Order: sequence, then structure tokens, then C-alpha cells
Amino acid sequence: MRTMLALGMALAVLCLLVAPHPADAAGILRIAQNTSDLRSMDPHFATTTQDRSLVDMIFNGLVRYKPGDGSVFEPDLATSLPTPRMEGGKQAWTFQLRKGVMCHPSPGVPSYELTSEDVVYSLKKSADKNRSAYAADYGGMTVEAPDAYTVKITLDKPVSPILFFANVANYSGGFIVCKKAAEKLGPDGMKTQPVGTGPFMFKSYSAQERVQLVANPAYFRGRPQLDGVDYRFMPDISSRELALRNGQLDVINGAPDKAWVDKMKGVSGVKVDVFGVGEVVTLNLNMTVAPLDKVEVRKAIAYGLDRDEFLALIGPGIAENVYSPVPAKFLAGGLTQAELAAKGLDYKTDLQKAKRLLAQAGYPNGFSMDLITSEQTGYRVLYESMQAQLAKVGIKVDLKLADHATMHSMIRKDANPLAIYIAWRPNADVYLTQFLHSDSIVVTGKKPNTNFSHYNKIDGLIEQARNETDQAKQVALWKEAQIKVLDDMVVYPIQYQNQVYARSTAVDYGHELISVLALYPGIDEKTRLTK
Amino acid sequence: MLRYILQRLVFSIPVFLGVVTIVFLVVRVIPGDPAVAALGDYASKEAVEALRQQMGLNEPLPLQYVHFLGNLVRGDLGKSMITASPIRHEIGHALPYTLELTVLAIIIGTILGIPIGVYTAIRRNQLADYIGRVLSLTGLSVPAFYLGILLILLLAIYLQWLPAVGGGGMDDLRENVSHVILPALTLGLVMMASVARLARSAMLNVLRQDYVRTARAKGLKERVVHLRHALRSALIPIVSVTGIWAVSLIGDSVTVEVVFARPGLGKMMVGAILQRDYTALQSIMVVYTGFVVAINLLIDLIYGWVDPRIRH
Repeated sequence: MRTMLALGMALAVLCLLVAPHPADAAGILRIAQNTSDLRSMDPHFATTTQDRSLVDMIFNGLVRYKPGDGSVFEPDLATSLPTPRMEGGKQAWTFQLRKGVMCHPSPGVPSYELTSEDVVYSLKKSADKNRSAYAADYGGMTVEAPDAYTVKITLDKPVSPILFFANVANYSGGFIVCKKAAEKLGPDGMKTQPVGTGPFMFKSYSAQERVQLVANPAYFRGRPQLDGVDYRFMPDISSRELALRNGQLDVINGAPDKAWVDKMKGVSGVKVDVFGVGEVVTLNLNMTVAPLDKVEVRKAIAYGLDRDEFLALIGPGIAENVYSPVPAKFLAGGLTQAELAAKGLDYKTDLQKAKRLLAQAGYPNGFSMDLITSEQTGYRVLYESMQAQLAKVGIKVDLKLADHATMHSMIRKDANPLAIYIAWRPNADVYLTQFLHSDSIVVTGKKPNTNFSHYNKIDGLIEQARNETDQAKQVALWKEAQIKVLDDMVVYPIQYQNQVYARSTAVDYGHELISVLALYPGIDEKTRLTK
Repeated sequence: MLRYILQRLVFSIPVFLGVVTIVFLVVRVIPGDPAVAALGDYASKEAVEALRQQMGLNEPLPLQYVHFLGNLVRGDLGKSMITASPIRHEIGHALPYTLELTVLAIIIGTILGIPIGVYTAIRRNQLADYIGRVLSLTGLSVPAFYLGILLILLLAIYLQWLPAVGGGGMDDLRENVSHVILPALTLGLVMMASVARLARSAMLNVLRQDYVRTARAKGLKERVVHLRHALRSALIPIVSVTGIWAVSLIGDSVTVEVVFARPGLGKMMVGAILQRDYTALQSIMVVYTGFVVAINLLIDLIYGWVDPRIRH
């Protein structure tokens, strides 16, 4: 017993000797994301939320989404937002670049001024499928550099500003890399050694642990108020939460769950932010597989489901019901509940109607189907809720559990006639193209993507809208396309799920949080630690 | 002895080869694609195909296997399929974190477990014995990750004595020690429970032996009888269990490293599985297999040293 007591006291003394000193991290913002490691810091391969938020701090675009508000474009590397001109049937956009924008120094390449040569190199890289995951978004685009500070982009087919600016903004393929550094590092080097022009510069990467960034003293908007950012990879929510409570972290990616949000709101010194953009949850119904090939059955499923039941899983405020595949709250082209209710396409829950429709389709006693769900809570609870709801109208769903990557792989092989999908896409065109254009049909499409419903009836409307330069007409076309989709009931929109982050009250992001495309709060030159 | 060591080493080669072959095949059989994992769900099929080609995933499986074995023989662990970082460098960074964690956990487990086991055996059916048995049963029943969270709550959140998560830099001793205590205590306490139970039963067996009775009859002090005569014999099964536990600690360290966000091999392995990073996963398994083979070899050697009959 005495030995145990002595050991206990020794442990206590050791703990006190090595206790953490919070002052060590002054000026460095410590943020933890829900990931075990990075995938790539080459911005044109940064496709996950975790990678996107990292590159967002390091790179700029020609234009940018206003910090904290993804609905507004403003100039970034360019001095202003240009208006397009038509030249020989093609659409030309000419950007003037800011002078004095410096590329971060990197091994073997000292800091140098970014010019149009870098922008041309970068956008050509974005269009190359071997050097970019976003190449498909840059087809039919020619980029030239008339002089060192001018970039001219010519599009074979004209598009509206909303679609064009998205491709040259600080998101996905629009991030501008520094040519000399990119060539020196090569494709592999860029994955772990990013060189951009943003407020923070890469310092170090430690696999499975962290990326350290330091303030860019030559940043064109002025030196950041933070000394740097310590970006940690922490896949376990309990670990992130405990480290925030313990003062080891300043910002964490939280759990999209009202119970968690309420709990953290009660923690002293912690503030919880719930903000857009919301990732949209849709149920995609494969119209080529019996019995879903009958529209009555698809509509029966829609009437058998209750958005409020799905909403209760996550909590109002954290998630919100959505009625069209494109979320009206965040993107032009979405339809509100009122607009769809007026057309009888809001599919308000009606179990009797669902049963009648099933009987009309020849399934008075319902039917059964096998589905695969991810082990990830976000997906699993939605599938389980759907299973319980459909049982009420006689549709028996057998769920099989798979790990997340496996589920993604299997649904792309048509394993689920009813496929739940959670995704954010930057505009209505991308949503509709990837989920409802026939080219995107899984397995059999020309460019298979995420059209799980095998729908092929709005290709013309999608293409017409894409090339419509009048924004009001474009929005009308997007809405028309979605009305058709809902009338055929190949996609049942369930909800959008907001982003949940918790932070120390000492953190001031420097902007209001309304919606951020990179799905994190946005850390820039104005972000600061107040203590 | 040298011949014995060589013999054990030669026997380890097929074990090693078998494990890495199974790992090579299993990671490729499970659904999921490293290119999809790397590019995310936004990328087009063309981009995924281009990356698959770059990753060498379109090569025939036997050819991939030959490349893998060839590189392994040359000591080249390759590059991560996802980040293109040299895996040797990543493992070199992660390994010290896992090693210090498991070694410290073994030390905590044994220096707490053996005295508790011995003490409760000596005090059989007394209050100390009941308490010790309940504690060790509790220790065996509580999963390591759960115990880890409880310890974080107590020592990092309420008492604020220790950092909750992270590995601490290897170049800063204070930082490093402060970060390893909690996870090592977590694993050590779980191991302690097992060692204490075994030490107790081993001691009870030995205390019934005639030679112990003889030692007492000779008038030796109880302390001498217990420590010099009984404990020495009881140590053989304890060494054996310590070895087995050292192997299972490597498994437990995976969950503990995730809970404590330590940048060790376990966390690296989980990341590699989630990202379908075949090359990283294969290399990590090679290192783990090497660990297990080495520990088993060490146990065999200790046996051989403790009981020379085994060597023959």
C-alpha cells in the first residue's frame, strides 16, 4: 500500500513538473480537423474539407469569396472583377493583376513577384487531368498573358459571371500556384510543400500529426495578426473536444449534433459556431431498377418519408429541411418550400397516399430491398431512420454496414437502388451536372460521377442554363430542371447540414460567419487571438 | 546460444513473409480505391483513372507484388501513395512515439502489477486481496480507449496537470514526457491488471510448494521466503505473460494513439487504412511484424536463459 502511495505521489510530482504551459503557443492559432492526415496541399488536388481549409490559408485566386460569406465575389489577386466581352463568338474576360504580390520563398526558389505567367501556368495546370482533380471544370478555356500584369481568359462557350468566377476564385482549381516553385518541387513535392501567395506560408509537415504555417510578412493585404497556424490532424471528436477544454487547442471541428452543440455552449471559455454552407443530404432513387422504375413507387417513397424525422436526428439549427437538390438558402437556382408547395412538389409526408401509390404500382404489400450504409455516424443514422420510416408503408430495408470508403466504392457500382449522399457543390450547375446529367450516370455514363438515379431527362436544360449569360434566365432554367426532377421523383432532398466548429472565446476570426465554401471558419490576415 | 538465436531468426523469415503477403493481398481485396480516397468524391472518373495510372495500380497484381518484395529486400519502403512522402521517413518519425509509449506502458504494468499480485497473494482472502482482485478485474474489463478518456478528464481537464492530446516534440524532453504519461498510464494500467492477476495466482501456486514450507521451517523471515524463494519461481509465467502483453500492447496502442492523437505507428496505420494507402499500410505492417517477431524472439531467449533445458 505504501508503495502504491509513493508511486501515486511520484506521478503527481512528475505531472506538475511537466505540466503544459499555455503561454508557449502565444500568437499561434491551434486548430484541429477531423482527419487522420492530409491528402494533398497541391490546391488542385485538395478535395477534402481538411485539405481545402489548409490551402485556403496559403493560396489566393484571381477573385475570392468574401471571407465568411460565400455568396459574394470580390477581387483577390486581380484588381477588380471584370465584365466579359464577346470576341468572334467567344467570351473574353480580362483581369488586371495587383502589383507587388510576392510568392512565398521555398527551397531553391527565393520569393519573387507573381505575374501573369504564374496565373497562366496555374490555370493550365488546373485544366490538365494529370495535374488536377478539377480538370473537367476547365474545358474550353484558353488563358493568355498579354503582359506581365494582364491575364486574358477566353471561353469557347459564354457563361454567366456566377459560373465563371467560381472557376477563378479561391476554391478548387481556381487557386493560383507559383510557377517557379511548382516546377522546382514537381507534382509530388507540391503535395507536402505548398508555395502560394496567401497570408500564411508553409513551415513544416509532420505525417499524421500536424502542418505548421507561419505568417507571411510580405502578404499584400498586410502582415497577418497571427504569428502562425498549427493545424492538427485529429480524427477523434472526444480528443478534439478534450484538447479544446484543456486549452491545448483554440479551434476544433465539432460534431454536427445538437446535443454536442448544446453541451459545448455550456463550457466556460468556449464558443460554438454553426454556419453555412450546408452540405446537402439527398436520397437518390435509381429509376432503372424494379420496382423503382415505376414513378408511383418513387413517389410513394417520397410521401412515406418525413423530413422532420431526419431533422430530429441532428437537431434544428444544425441542419435544416431542404426541398430542392440545389439548396435555396446558399445558391442561386434553388427552390424554396413555398415555391414547391405551390406546385405540389414539396412531398409533405402522407402515409396513406404512399400506400395508395404502392397499391397502384402493384405493390399493395410493399417490397423489400438490400442497401449498404457507411459505418460513419452521419450516414448510418440517416439510413437507419429511412429504414424505420419506410417500414411504416411496408417497404422493408435490410441494411448492411460497410466502412466509409467501401460504401462510396459500392454505390458507384450501383449497389444501392436508394442512395443517400451528403455533398456540397459550389453552384447549381455542378450539382445538377454531377447528380442529374446523363453523362454522370454511375457505371454507364460517358463521364461517370454521382448520378445514382440514372436520370437523363434534363441534359438540355442543364446545358442551356450553363451557357445562359443572363443570370435571371439561368436561374429560371435551373429551377425548371429541378421541378422536372422532383416531378419524376428521382431525387428526394432531405436536409442541409451546417458546419459546426467550437473555439476558445479568445479567437476572433475577423469576419462574420455566414457561409464559407471551404467548410471551415476561414482563417486569414485579420484572424487574431485576443489573449 | 548463438545457434539457438540463429535458429529462431531463420524460423521468423517465413512468418514475416507470410504476414506481409497476406497484408499485400488483403488491402487490395477490400473495396475502396486509393485514387478515389486521394481525390475525394468531387473528382471525375478521368482524374481518378489518371491518378490510378500514376500510382501503379493498373499494373497486374503479381507485378505489383514482385515490385513490393524487391523493394522490401532492398530496404526501400517506397513512397506514400497519397502524399508521396518517403514512408521510411514517416515511419522513422512515428516509431519513437510508439516505442516510448509501449516501453513505458510495460514498465508501468510490471512495476505496479507484480507487487500488487504478490501482495494480494500473501494477503489471500483478506481485505487487500479483495480490493486488489476487484481492481484487476475492473482493469481487465475496461477498454483502453475508455480508460484513456477517463484519465484525460481527470488529469488533463479537472486537475490540468497534463496535456490531453498530442505527442510533444522529440527534441523537447519536458514536452515529450508530459505527453507520454497519460497514454502510457492508460496502457500500463490495463496491463497491470493482467499482470497482477497472474502474479497472484503464480505466487499462490509457489507458496504451496514444499520448498517454501522448508524455507519457513528453517526459520527464514517471511519477507525472505516471499521475495527470494517464492517470487523467483513465480517469475517464469510472469515473464511469459509480460511478453504476450507486450505484443497485445502494440495492438492496444493503435486505439490509444488515436484517442490521444499521438503521431505514432498506430495512428499512422489507421490513417493508411482509411486512405487505402497500400504502400504505407504494407510498410507499417512490416514494421509491426518485425516488432512481434523480435518480442517473441526475446521471450524465447529469456526462456532459454531462465531454463536452459528449453535451449536443448
